[in-house]
Amino acid sequence: MPDGLRARLRRRLDSWTRPRTPETLPVAIDRRRVYVVPTGFGLFFAALLAAMGVGALNDNNNPALLLALLLSGAALASLLVAHLQLSGLRVVAAGAEPVPAGEPLSLRVHLRAADGRERRGLRVECGEATASASLADGAGEAVLELPTTQRGWLQPQRLRISTRQPLGLAFAWCLAWPQAQLLVYPRPERDAPPLPSGGGEGSRARPHVAGDEPHHLRAYRQGDPRRNIAWKPSARHGSLLVREHERREGAEIVLDWRELASLPVEARISRLARWVDEAERRNRRYRLRLPGESLGPAQGPAHRHACLRALALLPHAVD
Amino acid sequence: MPSTDAKRGAPLDAATRGWCYAAAAACLLPLLLQLPHATALAIAPCALAVAALSWRRPLPWWLRALLALAVFGTVFAAHGFAFARDTGCALLAAMLALKPSETVRVRDARSLLGFALFAPFATFLLDQGPLSLALGLAGACLALVALLRLSGFEAGIERGSGDWRLFRAALGLVGVGLPLALAAFWLFPRLAAPLWGTPGMSQARPGLSDSMTPSEWVDLLSDDTPALRVQFFGATPADIQRYWRGYTFWNFDGRTWTRALWIDAMPPAPVVPSATRWEYQLELEPTDRQQVVALDLPLSAPEGTTLDGNYGLAADRPLDEPRRWRMRSAAPAAFDARMPESLRRAALQLPAGFNPRTLALARQWRAEAGDDDAAIVRRALAMFHDSFAYTLAVPLAGRNAVDEFLFDTREGYCQHFSSAFVVLMRAAGIPARVVTGYAGGTYNRIGDYWLVRRSDAHAWAEVWLPGRGWVREDPTAAVSPERVYDTLADRANAGDGPLGGIDALAPVFDVGDWMRRGWNDFVLGFDANRQRNLLRSLHVDADTDRALLLAFAAAAVLALAWMAWRVAREQRERDPVLRAWRRLEKRYARRGFGRPPQEPAVAWAQRLNGSSPEPSPLLVLTTRFAEWRYASHQRDPRRARELIRDLCAHRPLAGEP
Repeated sequence: MPDGLRARLRRRLDSWTRPRTPETLPVAIDRRRVYVVPTGFGLFFAALLAAMGVGALNDNNNPALLLALLLSGAALASLLVAHLQLSGLRVVAAGAEPVPAGEPLSLRVHLRAADGRERRGLRVECGEATASASLADGAGEAVLELPTTQRGWLQPQRLRISTRQPLGLAFAWCLAWPQAQLLVYPRPERDAPPLPSGGGEGSRARPHVAGDEPHHLRAYRQGDPRRNIAWKPSARHGSLLVREHERREGAEIVLDWRELASLPVEARISRLARWVDEAERRNRRYRLRLPGESLGPAQGPAHRHACLRALALLPHAVD
Repeated sequence: MPSTDAKRGAPLDAATRGWCYAAAAACLLPLLLQLPHATALAIAPCALAVAALSWRRPLPWWLRALLALAVFGTVFAAHGFAFARDTGCALLAAMLALKPSETVRVRDARSLLGFALFAPFATFLLDQGPLSLALGLAGACLALVALLRLSGFEAGIERGSGDWRLFRAALGLVGVGLPLALAAFWLFPRLAAPLWGTPGMSQARPGLSDSMTPSEWVDLLSDDTPALRVQFFGATPADIQRYWRGYTFWNFDGRTWTRALWIDAMPPAPVVPSATRWEYQLELEPTDRQQVVALDLPLSAPEGTTLDGNYGLAADRPLDEPRRWRMRSAAPAAFDARMPESLRRAALQLPAGFNPRTLALARQWRAEAGDDDAAIVRRALAMFHDSFAYTLAVPLAGRNAVDEFLFDTREGYCQHFSSAFVVLMRAAGIPARVVTGYAGGTYNRIGDYWLVRRSDAHAWAEVWLPGRGWVREDPTAAVSPERVYDTLADRANAGDGPLGGIDALAPVFDVGDWMRRGWNDFVLGFDANRQRNLLRSLHVDADTDRALLLAFAAAAVLALAWMAWRVAREQRERDPVLRAWRRLEKRYARRGFGRPPQEPAVAWAQRLNGSSPEPSPLLVLTTRFAEWRYASHQRDPRRARELIRDLCAHRPLAGEP
């Protein structure tokens, strides 16, 4: 119950505090959006000092009063220091490499501050995910592992940047809501059927053992490795020719949305995502045909990302 | 219980735990120094053992419970099962010694440090000397260091050799909070009277005893610690007049002199003071009594004291802290010549069946002197002067102590002399009484005040002479005046004992005592009264607490503002030239001609200059700034000052660019 209550209180508190909409980066944390509240230990410490102070005043015990007052002064100063740990901070960038749904997304939050003041032991929270950050020479980074559940754009929740420095008496926090569109790829199907065996241009001929016959050569295409270029035949033909290798089965695979019509939408996306990865792993050229667009044929990380992105951004089925 | 574990934090690493233990030990040290030696000697090894045993893993709960029971039992038994301030302090020390046994996580360590901070506080309840304060504050600072270290550990900050920076950070926090603390110390309204009773200072030294048994003062007479300090304004009494009046004893049972409480309760007898008045400020060191001493005779009772029937002063609460009073005294010219019969009887009272030889001698003197009381007094003093000696080594007296002293041993100290003298006078029919207090004192050149030590405790006699009233007679002075009116120099010249060469060291003692007096004055003696006087001296009418509160609030606001500025200042550019440059840029930015961060300063100035053939003042200034900044050979302070001046003076023109 106390935990539930605390969570409710925190939600209520958060709903009152700025910002209430995502902000474009960079976000500067000014003093008006930094909040300082005492921790449990802070309250205990305050009670301790109050007891000391009242006892000392009652006895007119000046050394004891001096002790209580010096500690109180230091405690108050620590509140200011806690506040200053955050104010003046800037959230410069927030971004993440896309991951398949279901895998944690590493959100990198880049923080910056004019150096000169120590800002160490900052804590960055986003939902359940927490990470610590320290600003060395005015810059630092926190890496948050956000859970992902579905493909598409992910707008992260508000980030809470907080610290208990320096004495642990106060909890200083602020919220930042960076406008960051993070992409989550579709979850690849786990036990998918093997890749469809080719199609398109390359499907007519099986590749042969490497030789120097011209019909084993084909025209150079962007992205072919240099060592595959057949320089002599190229010189004869006047255009670049590339030797087809035996294992490069030569065929371009076509991953066609329409051919999977029997599956529900998400399953189709999931299978295509799996096949894209599979094709990449096997070094195959592939084309992805989706309703309204066609990608490739090509191969390589850029193509893979383009394909997965297209898959991820397909409209969600309305059930 | 993983959830609780998560909430309480990870187990501490060895270094952090070491810091916490060290801080707790530093806080415990001053308290141990003030506790009775036996208690301290029991607790210190216990603390060490517990810390060592629980270093790797916490002690099992049953062992901790057993230890706690044993320690509490011992402490209570040692204090006779009474709960007082002493017991509380000893218990706190014991608890602190046991606390490391359960210190595993951040939260435990924080509660350890919280309790540890109470140890210096408890120390100050027992002793308020400079050493205790220094040790206590050092312990508190170490506790702050440990707290810094703890929260660093909690936040996962790696600390290599940077631990020493924590000291700077802790001192920085204290320093930033200092103005507020001092403002509160001086201006926060103090309580004129305590809200609840406070048990007496257990460590206050015994004061003058309220009874006198000859031969019992040897301890007091060898105690050289200060009893009071006096600063005179105007006339200073001569050596022979510096008698500090304490208790007056009337009743004698053959062995012990005691007060007559009914006489104390009477109003003091009317007295004609002599023309010379002595104005002085009296500062009393703490004692376990309520008796205040005053120069013979006080003219009135200062605030917080009452004058008793013997011109003794009693404070209205125990003198368990340094107190000070402004007083006036004057030697009596004459008392009221009549003496009530009840008082006369009391002043002539002698126990029956004691000291027959003394009584016989007194009767013989009376017969020879006839009505002349003064002659008898003179004769007694002459007898002491001629054939008696002063010594502290006195054998224990038997039943007829005065007889033995007057006719057999003939040596003793002030108690013996005054007691025998009064018995002799009473036997001769002259009303007489014993007065105790202090006599003499040494002058402190550095602080311009007189220091009276406990060893200056003295007993003398007063006799009632017709037409004059009570007259002070000091038989000890008749024997050995240097013992009464001694000064440090006198003792040095006497060359006795290990303090033979004390003459050269006298200024050192003077400085030491002067500093101690300053401590009493500024640190310990600051109370509600002094606070009001402070405001009055600033011409603030502080008759009500409201003025004080207002002053405090104002000072607190100022101090807080200073704190904020002081803490935020680190954000400020430190280089004054850069600072001036930034201000200049801001002035341009306000008009919409700000420099984008990626544009070099000179390029910016050139852009603003446009195509004009003449370089604008801004461009000239910017070029100078760039030269100063990037051509290091140009960095001489005079040029920097000029540059700052010009940067500050430059304003964008209305029509620019």
